[in-house]
Amino acid sequence: MAGKTGSTPTTYSPSPATRKKKRIPIADADWARPDNRGFYQCRPAYLRTSAVSTAAGSAYAEFGNTKVIVSVFGPRESKKAMMYSDTGRLNCNVSYSTFATPNRGQGSDDKELSSMLHKTFEGAIILESFPKTTVDVFALVLESGGSDLPVVISCASLALADAGILLYDLVASVSVSCIGKNLVLDPISEEESYQDGSLMITCMPSRNEVTQLIVTGEWSTPKINEAMELCVGACSKLGEVMRSCLKDVVTDLKE
Amino acid sequence: MAAANGSSDLYSELEVDAFRSLFPLRYHEQHLLKSVRPDARKLGSARDTTVALGAVASADGSALVKIGSTTMLAAIKLEVMTPTVECPDEGSIAIEFYMPPICSPLVRPGRPAEAASVISQQLSDTILSSGMIDLKELCLVGGKAAWMAYLDIYCLDADGALFDAALLSAVAAFSHLNIPVVSLNDDGRIVLVSDDNVLLKLEKEPVNTEKRKLKLNSPPFSLTCILHKNYILADPTAEEESIMETVVTVVLDSSYQLVSLYKPGGPVLAHTSVIQDCVALARLRLKELQNILNEAISDMEID
Repeated sequence: MAGKTGSTPTTYSPSPATRKKKRIPIADADWARPDNRGFYQCRPAYLRTSAVSTAAGSAYAEFGNTKVIVSVFGPRESKKAMMYSDTGRLNCNVSYSTFATPNRGQGSDDKELSSMLHKTFEGAIILESFPKTTVDVFALVLESGGSDLPVVISCASLALADAGILLYDLVASVSVSCIGKNLVLDPISEEESYQDGSLMITCMPSRNEVTQLIVTGEWSTPKINEAMELCVGACSKLGEVMRSCLKDVVTDLKE
Repeated sequence: MAAANGSSDLYSELEVDAFRSLFPLRYHEQHLLKSVRPDARKLGSARDTTVALGAVASADGSALVKIGSTTMLAAIKLEVMTPTVECPDEGSIAIEFYMPPICSPLVRPGRPAEAASVISQQLSDTILSSGMIDLKELCLVGGKAAWMAYLDIYCLDADGALFDAALLSAVAAFSHLNIPVVSLNDDGRIVLVSDDNVLLKLEKEPVNTEKRKLKLNSPPFSLTCILHKNYILADPTAEEESIMETVVTVVLDSSYQLVSLYKPGGPVLAHTSVIQDCVALARLRLKELQNILNEAISDMEID
């Protein structure tokens, strides 16, 4: 064998012996979600700030099986190559761990999610408050269980608040999948794999402003309206949960 | 000495935090004079350590380890490989250590940290050479199929003594590893045997009904110490590592035999007696770590 360390032999993960056909969800009303949630119910969430001691601010978020850590560094010196800028800069990066997905991945950066994260926060952070400098927002998806981007965004918003970066408002994000005639809120990976269309909203609940809206797949206009209302409602509820998570830290400190 | 007097006036006026960041070495040395460290530890004692097994649901074995603020998440995924011609009845282990940009302000995306590849190599050397795992136990069908264990360790918070935490998480993940029951199908591929298949009556017998847990032969544990002047500081934080540069890492296996000893240069030249002191500290730490790990394992079994 040419070098024990150099060449890794090709491997595969063993698959189940008899592959049962996945039950395709019937688009009728009595179809139940794989985790027995109601259609308009979010997964149980666990949020915590200050997860990473070396970062200026950080947060850990767990929505069902989706687990994410976000660290915020800065404001710190911009890269040398950057031109002078009156406003602050935002730098975002999202990566996946190798064990995030059921089959072992490469643990690489996700460029698409990174740019979406950047675009969401561009309008929500008061960039004028840190001229000439850069704020870095780095996210690591430890486990991917569906609706990864909304969880990353909500978690990043908590991390930014924890770092004391000025925001117009906390940014909350929720997605909806359209499966047949049904809308399901906060879909898991399995539901995402057979969805007809998906809609994601990130918004600032107390200002009633949407920073990002992404619609993909097949939708009818009334369905889009319904899904948007559903998302905005869920965002404002999530916003309250996030706010109370931040408040709890302060009251704990006082005690 | 005028300059020294001038600066000592400056010292007295400074607030503690400012003094700490402006004169970090002085700040630490003044603590060391009183045999205490800024976080109120004694020189020879390590930080609080916790081990939680089974932190990653999608992995075959996993562990979350915290030493003070330093946090490591280790996960093992088993895949099937064809063994090499030289060792037809042995599996293999691939160890990778990652420092994602979330763990420290010093790591930027796109550029892997230098420390990460160094620690990666050290971990591989230590784990493979300590003989903790008998690679023959990873064999499934002699000459045809064996397990390839991918051990991936993520540093989630880098606050010093990274190697110690990474090694502990690796050992903990291996002790949590549950090997799935598999069988060989007609195409010569290994497939999982799930509970459903047992009900449906198997055409093929599972190939590994017995070997469900790996046997760990005297697993290694380590302690990193900083040498500064005559002081030995066990289990340094990131701040201490950045100020005082000479480190010694001692790796002992569970029967107190020396597995490896790293002293990668540094301005302090260590006497043999100092090295012996480090080994003695590592022996004490070994007992602590064994207890912590055993407790985590027994907690897991109760659940």
